[in-house]
Amino acid sequence: MISQVLPKEIVDFLRVLEYWDHILVGLAKTMWLYVWALLLGFFLGLLLSLLRQYGGRILSRIATGYVEILRGTPLLVQLFFIYFLPFSINSFLEARGLPYIPIGRWSFYITSNLFGRTITMVFLDHITLMGILTLGLNSAAYQAEYLRGAVMSVGGEQLEAAQSLGMSRRSGILHIVLPQALRRVIPAWSNEAAYLPKYTVVVFFIGLTEIFAQAHYIVSKTFLTLSVYILVSLIFLVIITIISKSLDILYKRTAIPGL
Amino acid sequence: MTEIPYDPTKEIAETVLNVVDVWKSYDELEVLKGISFELARREVKVIFGPSGSGKSTLLRCINMLTPPDKGEIYLSGQNLMAPGVDLNAMRAKIGMVFQHFNLFSHLKAADNVSVGLRRVKGFTKEEARAKALDALHQVKMTDWAEHYPAQLSGGQQQRVGIARALAMKPDLILFDEPTSALDPELIGEVLQVMLDLAKAGTTMVVVTHEMGFARAVASEMIFIDQGVVIERGTAEHFFVSPESERVKNFLRQINILYGHHEELLKESNEDEKL
Repeated sequence: MISQVLPKEIVDFLRVLEYWDHILVGLAKTMWLYVWALLLGFFLGLLLSLLRQYGGRILSRIATGYVEILRGTPLLVQLFFIYFLPFSINSFLEARGLPYIPIGRWSFYITSNLFGRTITMVFLDHITLMGILTLGLNSAAYQAEYLRGAVMSVGGEQLEAAQSLGMSRRSGILHIVLPQALRRVIPAWSNEAAYLPKYTVVVFFIGLTEIFAQAHYIVSKTFLTLSVYILVSLIFLVIITIISKSLDILYKRTAIPGL
Repeated sequence: MTEIPYDPTKEIAETVLNVVDVWKSYDELEVLKGISFELARREVKVIFGPSGSGKSTLLRCINMLTPPDKGEIYLSGQNLMAPGVDLNAMRAKIGMVFQHFNLFSHLKAADNVSVGLRRVKGFTKEEARAKALDALHQVKMTDWAEHYPAQLSGGQQQRVGIARALAMKPDLILFDEPTSALDPELIGEVLQVMLDLAKAGTTMVVVTHEMGFARAVASEMIFIDQGVVIERGTAEHFFVSPESERVKNFLRQINILYGHHEELLKESNEDEKL
């Protein structure tokens, strides 16, 4: 038997790797959630940071309130809130005999065969959408703060110089402030880019089968708790290292000469 | 550049800028308390006074970066304080040169100059670039067109700042202490560019303590302290017979601080005699 010639730890890992199709689908799902949440968070965060910095009293207060609430409450609560909200609205509508939208009965997925295993990847369904929304809305609050810091560090003088040439505020922000702020934000923003893959694991609680859910499944099959979670950790380590190194390179490539 | 010495007697003065009774306060602090002056085309007005006197605020009020609380500012007859005025269009006619240069740090010198031409005046990339290089030539910065601001010395940056304002072909240019942030050895090159501009008939309002410059080209000097005009007159008036005690004290201190510019001052006088 193979288990008699190899050390036990290696054998454990080999047994876990038997479930590579689960790990692969889970990883794909995690990265899928990550990319969309990061993008949603970026654009919403950018909007929030600009509203907070340039939006006038009311809009800047709304943006500040959003950021404080989303940063001040647990991500898990936000997840449950967003997940259950459509159901609550539905039952409210249903109880009054109003038309309501059936939730959770649609899904976009692909199924394919890979090395003899059938792999199903769900791209979008109700829980995936709610997961992306939660992570994106939450990330937006953090990204808004990083972006606001960068916008502030560019300074009002740059915008004033643009305005003194006759550029509108909007044009000055777009063509003068943002190109500088987006370069400056990279080191701080890489924090969020590195945190977010790990935060995606909370969606496990609403039944999304991302990498952590798959790990949980493998543990239930093999009882190799430590091996499974160490493997998952290694995967995260590799991915996050790639992300942060890429951002380092991006920062250096986009650096302004002489600064 | 052709040098056309300014002679106010030879043309009918056309008022470019008319500042009428401008008031501005920040919270409790009253910075400007009713300042008025007129600026004719091709005129160079030098505004000076102790720090905190409101000189910079006055310039910022003129191009409405800091709108005044009260008063009127007419640019070629158009009141900038009137409701519904397109301030962006008006600002395109008023150049501004900043104490700390405020160049766009992500843009090369040529792009710093051309960005306004493209975004405001709607020139194509090529047209804007050609005009930008012209302006850089005027400030002797052509060789540095492809450098980023952080790769330039303070004096060079300020010359690009002047080119940026110049390229827009404004009706007048405001200079907000353009040499105050420069190392002494870099002041000369910037002042030289400004002297050239003044002699070529550029309409300018200059906040500066460079009395040599003022003496050489100012058509009128205005001394401001604590938000009010204390004294105004020609450069000769200020250097020969200033009336107010405050002006005398201030000029004495300036002389101690800027004593090393006595030579520039003499040179400028000789220029005038020629």
